[in-house]
Amino acid sequence: MTSATSEWLTPSTRTELIENLVSGVDRYNPSNVSILEDYLYHQIRSGEYDCLANLAILKLYQFNSDLYNPDVVVNILLKALTAEPFPDYNLCTSLLDDRLVNMNPDEPDPLPVLLPILTNLYNLLHQCRFPAFWTFYHSDELESLRENYIVECVGFEEAIREVAARAVKATFTRIGLDRLGTYVDLSGPELEMWIEKQGWSLDISIRTVSIPSNPDNEIESVVIRENVKLAQLQKVIAHAAQVK
Amino acid sequence: MSAQRVALWAAEPDLDDDINDVDIPLTIPPYQNADLYDDPNLDESALLAVQAQIAQQTALAQIPDVVKRFIIHFHQAVLDNDLPEITLAYESGWNRLTEKFYARTEWPEAEIIAPLVNDDQIFLILYRELCYRHVYSRLQPDIDDRFHSYENSCELFNYLLNSEVGPVPLSLPAQWLWDIVDEFIYQFQSFALYRSRPANKTDEELAMLGSEGGAQAWSSYSVLNVLYSLIQKSRVNEWLKARAEGKSDEEIDEIVGEYGTKPLYRQLGYFSLIGLLRVHVLLGDFTLALKVMDNAGLGLCAGEKVPFTAPTATHVSTAYHAGVCYLMLRRFTDAARVFTGCLNWVMRARQYHTRSYQYDQINKTADRMYALLALCQTLAPTRLDDNVINVVKERYGEQMTRMGRGEEGLGTFEEIFLYACPKFITANPPPYNDPNTLALLINPPTPSSPSSPTPTSGTPTITDPTQRHLRALSAHFLALSPVPTLRSLLKLYTSLDARKLAGFLDAGVDEEEVLSWMMVMKNAGRCVGRVRGAAGADKDEKNGASTANGSSAGSSLLDGEWMSISDLNFVIDENMIHIAESTVGRRYAGWFIRNSEHAARVFDGLRASPLPGSLPGAKTQGKGGESKGDTSKDTAPRTSGQKVAWSKVV
Repeated sequence: MTSATSEWLTPSTRTELIENLVSGVDRYNPSNVSILEDYLYHQIRSGEYDCLANLAILKLYQFNSDLYNPDVVVNILLKALTAEPFPDYNLCTSLLDDRLVNMNPDEPDPLPVLLPILTNLYNLLHQCRFPAFWTFYHSDELESLRENYIVECVGFEEAIREVAARAVKATFTRIGLDRLGTYVDLSGPELEMWIEKQGWSLDISIRTVSIPSNPDNEIESVVIRENVKLAQLQKVIAHAAQVK
Repeated sequence: MSAQRVALWAAEPDLDDDINDVDIPLTIPPYQNADLYDDPNLDESALLAVQAQIAQQTALAQIPDVVKRFIIHFHQAVLDNDLPEITLAYESGWNRLTEKFYARTEWPEAEIIAPLVNDDQIFLILYRELCYRHVYSRLQPDIDDRFHSYENSCELFNYLLNSEVGPVPLSLPAQWLWDIVDEFIYQFQSFALYRSRPANKTDEELAMLGSEGGAQAWSSYSVLNVLYSLIQKSRVNEWLKARAEGKSDEEIDEIVGEYGTKPLYRQLGYFSLIGLLRVHVLLGDFTLALKVMDNAGLGLCAGEKVPFTAPTATHVSTAYHAGVCYLMLRRFTDAARVFTGCLNWVMRARQYHTRSYQYDQINKTADRMYALLALCQTLAPTRLDDNVINVVKERYGEQMTRMGRGEEGLGTFEEIFLYACPKFITANPPPYNDPNTLALLINPPTPSSPSSPTPTSGTPTITDPTQRHLRALSAHFLALSPVPTLRSLLKLYTSLDARKLAGFLDAGVDEEEVLSWMMVMKNAGRCVGRVRGAAGADKDEKNGASTANGSSAGSSLLDGEWMSISDLNFVIDENMIHIAESTVGRRYAGWFIRNSEHAARVFDGLRASPLPGSLPGAKTQGKGGESKGDTSKDTAPRTSGQKVAWSKVV
């Protein structure tokens, strides 16, 4: 059985070249940053995700501040948003050392402006406040983010809906249709299509969606009792038999 | 002359080891150029050289004889590769003399004592390493000290790694090797912290930091280079893998090559792995830190075997940093397990370490681990080992209650984290080579001054990296703040309407928010954790998706499964919340079995021991320190048919 983290550690979509980079000493070589950046753009266009490779890019930026490319950083953070409930976003921010004065006044560094916005998005996701997330997402403040970055990131909204779906799956056995709609920012026929893709069943008459059972939303009261094995008592019993 | 001197000093009460018996072979060798003095045609440089020599000789004469003897003895031991002698000199001799003569000053410089050791450069490098360590720990290193210690470390590692004739013929005790690596990283950390504070520096310091050499000293790349080179040269990763696969000794020797077979390099390689773990944690890269230790495992603290006997400090350092990584990865069960394992081990091993100066350091790290454990418990309460949990409750009980009350606990949470976390560093220095930018950094312009750039266009600021990491964890804490209240309410019901629940909570909380909190609570009830071979009782657990994994060999430290850590489970059926609480029965079997076996051993012991002479007139009683259950039962009258258990017989 594949563990929960095996795909996160070594995505099946990672090529051998990247694998060598990530796991070896070459990751520190500044000239390799372009390979990793290309891989990131591949992830963006195809909807894949490779956390450790992106962290390697951030680490190179940490050591070589002249390689810094704010667009890359924003894209990495966007991708990390979609990985909830894994702590990827935090891992990425941990590697973002302070930026010094931007030497190039023609191209202002967008990151100091965008970072609080992205962190806000992350917090909303982490606190499972999905309707608020979508409201904020569609607000004017995020317009530049949406138009410059998210539009290029294939499947971003889908991935966020997956995050919401994961949270909903774990907590609910049945959920109201409208409520679910606010969580995933869909309505009407689109919502119904999405529900069907998830494999959930919809009962339109009572406007409720039923979620199939999974290990998280099945509960039973369990009393964990001790299971004393005979082998453990062996010495005691044998000794007692001897005494007679 | 020598013989007399030895006798006099032999009266020293605290030098009770062999130093007194060492026959001093010679005093300072005479310098050939001493008669240059008389030559009227002397040139400037020769005169200066002679003057330097005289200065050196006077300085040398000022060193106490005890210290001189020690240095000679130490040098001899290193030359002979006499490991026990070196260990003795290193652990007790050096520390004793430091306490006695150099508690507040530096040891004499290497150049001064050079004649005592025949200018043996290698020994002088090692000697300097010890001197600088003393400066960093007892005194305040100034910028010259920092640069010189860096150069010295580079020379040492250069000698070890780049000698043309293959592995060097040196043999040093494991404790010293660990200290070399540990100190190297500590000095790097100290320099990084020093460097990141450009305010309050003298002009000279600023100039040195801004220079070419200043930028190179203690750069992150060079530190990483050293550690990686040690690891690669000694092929320690291959060695660990081969051992784990159970290869034979010959195969292993072949795999590790000529460097890897020498214990010096192997130990240095292993310690460098732990060093890398630490450096990555300091720089904020937690996944890479854990990845580095994949082959080495987490050692004794996680209940695994270690490849060789390493100093206690190694295990403690490994556990502390691995625990911090797991904590930042939000894998609280793993973090708690690592901390508990180590703390248990430290408590047991404590008795052997009171003499060592490392005792303080180990204790300090243990204290921080207790604090971090308190944090883990708040974020993810689980059952822990009783011994450890008692100490945690004792020290942090009050803080834990405060943190358990939700948002108001944030201050306490941050306080504890700041106390217990490592001193994180940034990889890059402030721009010392650019005085203008540097000035901006030190005195950021206020918004009202006309010449200041607008705040969003990248006004440079220096923030402590620790704050960044703290924010990440605090955000998680805040997200979980409604959980304790919800828990206490849910415990009272088996099913509850969400609207009613919203009503119980503070006014102004609507149903939507409550549902969000429920989802957060559900998320908080699970975390990723490493699964090991589960024994006995665990197999009855049906919660969560944990599986009993047979072996953890070959798996990465980053692997894990989602496991349920909360005993309060619930599910929402549209608007109705169904709650199921699972109770964990107390495990008493182990305790009772252990004590029954102990009682059985006592019983056997008593039976086997000889009867003392029985007193006359007391034969019928059959007593005397031991009695077989049956005989005493026969003599005592039985009024009831009830069989009396042997343990109840007085």
